[in-house]
Amino acid sequence: MSAVIEVDALRVRLGRREILQGISCRLGVSGAGKAIGLLGPNGAGKSTLIQTLLGFHKPSAGRARILGFDCHAQAREVKARIGYMPENDSFIGNMTAVAFLRLMGEISGLPKAAALEKAHEVLFHVGLGESRYREIGTYSLGMKQMAKLAQAIVHGPELVILDEPTNGLDPAARQRMLQLIKEMKEQHGMNVLLCSHLLTDVEQVCDEVVILKDGQIVHQADLETERKSNRRFVQLDVIGDDRGLAAALREVGAEGVSEAPGEWRIVLPADVEIGSLWPVASRERLQIRKLTHRRDTLEEIFLKAVGHIRRTPGDAPAEVPAHGRL
Amino acid sequence: MAVYRRGYQRYDGPTTSHFARLMVMPRFSWERILGQRFVVILLVVSLFWPMLCAGFIYLSNHSELWQGFGGGIKKFLAINGNFFSIFMNVQSTFALILASVAGPGLIAPDLANNALPLYFSRPLTRWDYILSRMIVLLGILSLVTILPGMLLFGMQASIAGGDWFVHNWFLGTGIFIGFTLYIAMISLVAMASSAYVKWRVVAGALVLAFFFLLAGAAEMVNSIFRVDWASALNPTYAINAVWKGLLDVEIADDKPGAWECATVILGLSGGLLALLARKLRAVEVVK
Repeated sequence: MSAVIEVDALRVRLGRREILQGISCRLGVSGAGKAIGLLGPNGAGKSTLIQTLLGFHKPSAGRARILGFDCHAQAREVKARIGYMPENDSFIGNMTAVAFLRLMGEISGLPKAAALEKAHEVLFHVGLGESRYREIGTYSLGMKQMAKLAQAIVHGPELVILDEPTNGLDPAARQRMLQLIKEMKEQHGMNVLLCSHLLTDVEQVCDEVVILKDGQIVHQADLETERKSNRRFVQLDVIGDDRGLAAALREVGAEGVSEAPGEWRIVLPADVEIGSLWPVASRERLQIRKLTHRRDTLEEIFLKAVGHIRRTPGDAPAEVPAHGRL
Repeated sequence: MAVYRRGYQRYDGPTTSHFARLMVMPRFSWERILGQRFVVILLVVSLFWPMLCAGFIYLSNHSELWQGFGGGIKKFLAINGNFFSIFMNVQSTFALILASVAGPGLIAPDLANNALPLYFSRPLTRWDYILSRMIVLLGILSLVTILPGMLLFGMQASIAGGDWFVHNWFLGTGIFIGFTLYIAMISLVAMASSAYVKWRVVAGALVLAFFFLLAGAAEMVNSIFRVDWASALNPTYAINAVWKGLLDVEIADDKPGAWECATVILGLSGGLLALLARKLRAVEVVK
């Protein structure tokens, strides 16, 4: 099975600045209906990567391919297979939602009758059925977001690129949007590239995640595998001489590192019970002041990748070579 | 089954050709432009002059109707390059007004509503976009220029007979090429002003001002440097000179000729096209 997105030593220069610094990755599986999360702090190069995949920027070196087609040299083939929902307000003024979707569908290659039919169908699907004859300019922010999603899927693309789809949505609308994205991949077999600042959105919807920082890929993870590994993390605060704690933890099969005097971060494999920490602390004559326990969240993965928190014990340090491949 | 009961399904049917996709935007735009009352009135008014000219052709070909008049009337009623040159001059004014009304609404709304990423993320390049927007104006303007011009030429040829056609076929090609060049130029002016000025009224005024400003600038150059070649920079003069060349009408010796003027018009159009291409990008890059 071929990858949905293949990026090979991709460099993109805008003016004098090199935004993407030779990144390489293979994301998604063609026809599998997977969602890929694209994360990174502001200025990491997420939007530039999306725009390069859309053929808006010419790579200065390397190449990017979508569904086997080169994003620059075969832009027409690529664009016929993708749908794009931009981050900012994008619509055509003085047009009803139906006319707008019909126009977008026809430009994407749908015959007239099919475009009109799909326009109605997709507007009902995203919850704008009752307002489909209203001009888009009169829509609320949430409705405009839904209309943008509708135009991205009206022609039934193989890959949908969503740039901050939940921006400005209230909690209920946000859940509706995430549900629609889930349905897109699970029921309609579309691949989704989701760029978002909201890690919970990505965690809820995506199967893979790529984290960019300073124009380089700093982490790429299969969230499904991460979830299956079911690693549990414990934040342990103790009082006493804890110099022997690391060795004692290893004896019971756990691993831990001291993040500050008396503050420990411990990884518990699936077969190690949290209760086994009490005898360890007792043997080491340590008084437990605080014990918090949770699964590895995407937030932790993200913060580790961008260097805001220390690495989890047991993780190999992620060395990012010059070309950005992990 | 009703649409609202059916639920969304991915489209997997046949897709249209690239040409059909290119014609989608013009179809939608024509629908919108022809929905404007002022445009329709303007279109109707602009057909009065061709109807008068048709009457003139009818009269000139029916000598029995003006037998009692003197010999000078025969020269006056002759259907030749001069006649079509006058027809084109008058009709071009209507075309210019129409372009200044219909043109500004073409690109400015797309820029104001950030619609370009939506177009360019589909199988449509920047040049496709420019071409399809240009087709909108070319289609509307040809209704008041090429179409009545060719109808008048056809009418004259059919009444006057094959002999007249054999000797004057160049008038037909002249009308077609001359008007095509003119409406292409004013379409580009209207599109460029629409791309750079978001207020419709100002953009429309800019289309008209383009001709007055360049005419003034050309006259200034002529006066300051005591030359005549700068007249070619005056778009109105330049297009007139090209028409006269195509219709075999005499041009003053001391002024730039048809070829020089055609070169200037093509250069001007190229410049406008470059301006448009520079402005129409999917994303604004801050360098």
